[in-house]
Amino acid sequence: MFVLPYRLSVAQDILIPGLIIFGAALLLGILIVIISILFKVPRNAKKEALMDALPGANCGGCGFAGCEGYADYLLLPGANTGLCSVGGAECAREIASILGTEAVEPEKRIVVLHCQGTHDHTTPRYEYLGTRSCHSAHNILGGPGSCTYGCLGFGDCVAVCAFDALCIKDGIVHVNREKCTACGQCVKACPKKLLRLLPVTATVEVRCSNEWPGARTRKVCNIGCIGCKRCVKECPVEAISMNGSLAVIDQSVCIHCDACVSVCPTHAIARLE
Amino acid sequence: MAGFLNSIDFRGLMIILFSAILVDNFVLSKFLGICPFLGVSKNLKTAMGMSTAVIVIMLLASAITWPIQHYLLNRLGIGFLQTLVFILVIASLVQIVETIMKKSMPPLYKALGIYLPLITTNCAVLGVTILNITREFTFLNAMTNSLGAGLGFALALFLFSGIRMRIEKSDVPKTLRGLPITLVSASLVAVSFFAFKGLIENIFA
Repeated sequence: MFVLPYRLSVAQDILIPGLIIFGAALLLGILIVIISILFKVPRNAKKEALMDALPGANCGGCGFAGCEGYADYLLLPGANTGLCSVGGAECAREIASILGTEAVEPEKRIVVLHCQGTHDHTTPRYEYLGTRSCHSAHNILGGPGSCTYGCLGFGDCVAVCAFDALCIKDGIVHVNREKCTACGQCVKACPKKLLRLLPVTATVEVRCSNEWPGARTRKVCNIGCIGCKRCVKECPVEAISMNGSLAVIDQSVCIHCDACVSVCPTHAIARLE
Repeated sequence: MAGFLNSIDFRGLMIILFSAILVDNFVLSKFLGICPFLGVSKNLKTAMGMSTAVIVIMLLASAITWPIQHYLLNRLGIGFLQTLVFILVIASLVQIVETIMKKSMPPLYKALGIYLPLITTNCAVLGVTILNITREFTFLNAMTNSLGAGLGFALALFLFSGIRMRIEKSDVPKTLRGLPITLVSASLVAVSFFAFKGLIENIFA
């Protein structure tokens, strides 16, 4: 039978040291609390109010290190009050009223995936067995999909989204328009640069990023832009231009007539819903 | 006073100090505190801020843990709780120092403040306090060893931040850019420190 090398007494060998540690921790904890009260540094009241007004998501969409970084910046004279896309217009107004300045409303934007290459539109080139990450897959010949411009669907963007606005469906990312706050974290996370911010008023977009000539694009994906220029000719306001063999819509010119959607032979131009 | 000074073994202290800096460099030969070593060595300014914080905390931590081990833990027969107690004490100590510093010494807090929480239970800090006990140092020796460890950390960080600033400007192959080349150069610096082996004993012999 297994015999302990010495007599283990619960009270002496475990309980007492445990209690000593517990007591020491409690004592030190109380000491820290007392000292933090004694040496309290009064914080700027204005900053407190700003911190309350900001959403507290710490997403970094404003370009500062979290909401506190933005609050520090806002205290500077002439600071831009419209950088928080998460809080939107309401937050901008609140900040402006705290600072006593004119409200600058942030332009409402939304993130759009510039790819429609779901499993039924593309074919795999090889079986990818590596880490389930877009960045890793992107490093191996541009990923396992037939189109090396397309969405890899491993969800690097989903992982960074703090608002639960993205999900993977049929191998590509879907954006929940209600939840997206346009913080731009996914834009940075995408190795293919497929997620781009568009004004929330945009209704149509070329949902493809493939710059190959039409014939080659067609071989790898049947919903990609083949550069036929029919949309360019059809557009009444000349909002569409060609970047090589990829059509690009200038959203600031677009009048939302949907003429391009109906002529696009591959349905690469799609309504944003 | 004269009697006290005479009783100090200065040669022994020098050996401890310089071996802690050069031979047993905490970062480069004991591989402790690698995280801040890689994290804040991007430029000289942050490296020096971090090093100062580490030196201060190492000295403070040794000054408080040595008496705790010898007068409290050993007396109570619970020396085996060393690691736990040390972590607890050092973490609280750093927290308290930070709070007091914030109020009473704002300029110093501005310079060191952001580094203090980073080294709360840094392995280099914990390592030096535990080594002081296991090597059975007297209090004075322990403090000298901590000073040497802190200075050694500063030296390693100082050298390495210089190297990293040069790497930033040089044309590194794409696959090695960023952390890989940093780790490779860190290992080369560590190897170069092996040249100090055996040096100290001969200098102070």
